[in-house]
Amino acid sequence: MSFIDILRAEYRLVYNDVFRRKSVLLTTIMYPYIFTAFTLFIGYSAGSPSVFTQKMGIEPALYMITASYMLMSILTSLDDLLWKPLFDTYTGTIIYILASPVNRFKLYAAIPFPRLTLLVLLGFTSLLPVYIYYFGLGGLLLSLLIMGVVALGCLIMIPFAIFVASSVHRVGESWRILNVVRPLIMIFLGVYYPRIYMPLGAYIISSLIPSSHIVEAAQRLLIGIQSGVYVLFAIAFTLAIIYIPISQFTLSSWERKKVKEGVRTS
Amino acid sequence: MLGLLRRAYAVFKAYFVSEFIRSRGFIYGLMSMALWITMFSAPVIMFTGSDVNVNEVATRIFIGIMLFLFFSTASWDWAAEIRWMINEGRIEYYIASGSGFLPHYLGILPISILWLIIALIVNYILLSILWSPPTIRVLNLVLFIYGFALFLMCLMGYALILGGTMISTSAVGFIVEIINFVLPVATGGLFPLKLMPEPLQVFALLTPFSYTAELIRYSMLGIEPVVELNYLIITGSIYTMVFLLIGIGYFKYQLRKVLREGFKSISMW
Repeated sequence: MSFIDILRAEYRLVYNDVFRRKSVLLTTIMYPYIFTAFTLFIGYSAGSPSVFTQKMGIEPALYMITASYMLMSILTSLDDLLWKPLFDTYTGTIIYILASPVNRFKLYAAIPFPRLTLLVLLGFTSLLPVYIYYFGLGGLLLSLLIMGVVALGCLIMIPFAIFVASSVHRVGESWRILNVVRPLIMIFLGVYYPRIYMPLGAYIISSLIPSSHIVEAAQRLLIGIQSGVYVLFAIAFTLAIIYIPISQFTLSSWERKKVKEGVRTS
Repeated sequence: MLGLLRRAYAVFKAYFVSEFIRSRGFIYGLMSMALWITMFSAPVIMFTGSDVNVNEVATRIFIGIMLFLFFSTASWDWAAEIRWMINEGRIEYYIASGSGFLPHYLGILPISILWLIIALIVNYILLSILWSPPTIRVLNLVLFIYGFALFLMCLMGYALILGGTMISTSAVGFIVEIINFVLPVATGGLFPLKLMPEPLQVFALLTPFSYTAELIRYSMLGIEPVVELNYLIITGSIYTMVFLLIGIGYFKYQLRKVLREGFKSISMW
């Protein structure tokens, strides 16, 4: 099976579900606003928006809607990869997937794509209206730019996500570990709490996640600082390339373990 | 009565062994929750200048988290339990056994309370590391106890309505997630009403949650409610009781309905 065939199958699977369960689609659209409201409320209850603007050089609502969009985008495309092996185990299809001749790396690389295209819609419903409100028509261009950058951030996250998924699913109670790993990745990505504020240790860990550089690039573009953006892109791409062989190794090792030990479907 | 207690104990024992002894889910759950809270509360640093009273901030956040955790318990421990019962095919046996849901919920209540206490301790430690140790104080004990009793009654009503909706519509994960996020924020559970924009204040006061949350906050932090105190107590009490009665009525109605129509299958998320 070619990558395109796998991609087509994944698109059908995801979009049939998305259009069948419209309430899920609606909640996905609502999430960036909910997270924005949540963080703004916490911030306003403890401090003031003017301090935020002074420190960050941007309106808090603009920053938080962008952060929430980035969080949802990366989380949604990452989640598909992280949870798919588990759902396949629950539904009993993992055995068939492991027995099939399809290239596992291609399969797992294709999984986030359908959600990734859905994120464009998420950008039009979350970023676009807020940016246009603040910047006028110039907001349209900026929102398209941020959407493009975030889509890139999701794409280069794929090898890292395969690495995390195939490492986590080697151990028991993996869904519980995933619930710890997910927020941890989100913190280190620096979507709400920029990396520049992180202590050195956290900054180093954050730098090992490819998309954290893209997140910083998006934040810089939003604030209007263009210096260093290309360097961040270069680092992100290099890291993504480094993770490809690592993720291939952990994926095949996870597969071998499943074949050797058997798959528990209960 | 003895039979009811025996059943409740059996449920408690089963859940305790499953959640605390056999699996490590409890620890992972707490870690996950602490991390999400860290992620959402860390940006506070960007909103505050050097002159801010960090202890006051930590205390406010802690009270907000405490009320939020109670909402979560009502959503995920009490209402969502119905979902697991349907998923695992247990609910029909509960109904057929004739013992009702009371022993089951009496059995899981100590687990919920234990989880809440440990979760609050974890959050207290986390806030102490991030900010400053929150000051736990009760300025008016009688009002605090009364406010908390009302708040629990409110949550029971809410859990009954949510559970009843799950039974009848098979609506699950994402709806509970949204409600669990929106409700504490929109009804003044997380922040004092006076800090909220006026339209949201009006909306919050249309729900019973806001009155009890304001009462608790007043009794603990001394934050003046947006409405006069006597009005808050009287309206809050009447509203809460009516809400609980509606919850009980709604749940019973939905239960009767599914006995005629059967249970719907529930999706994974």
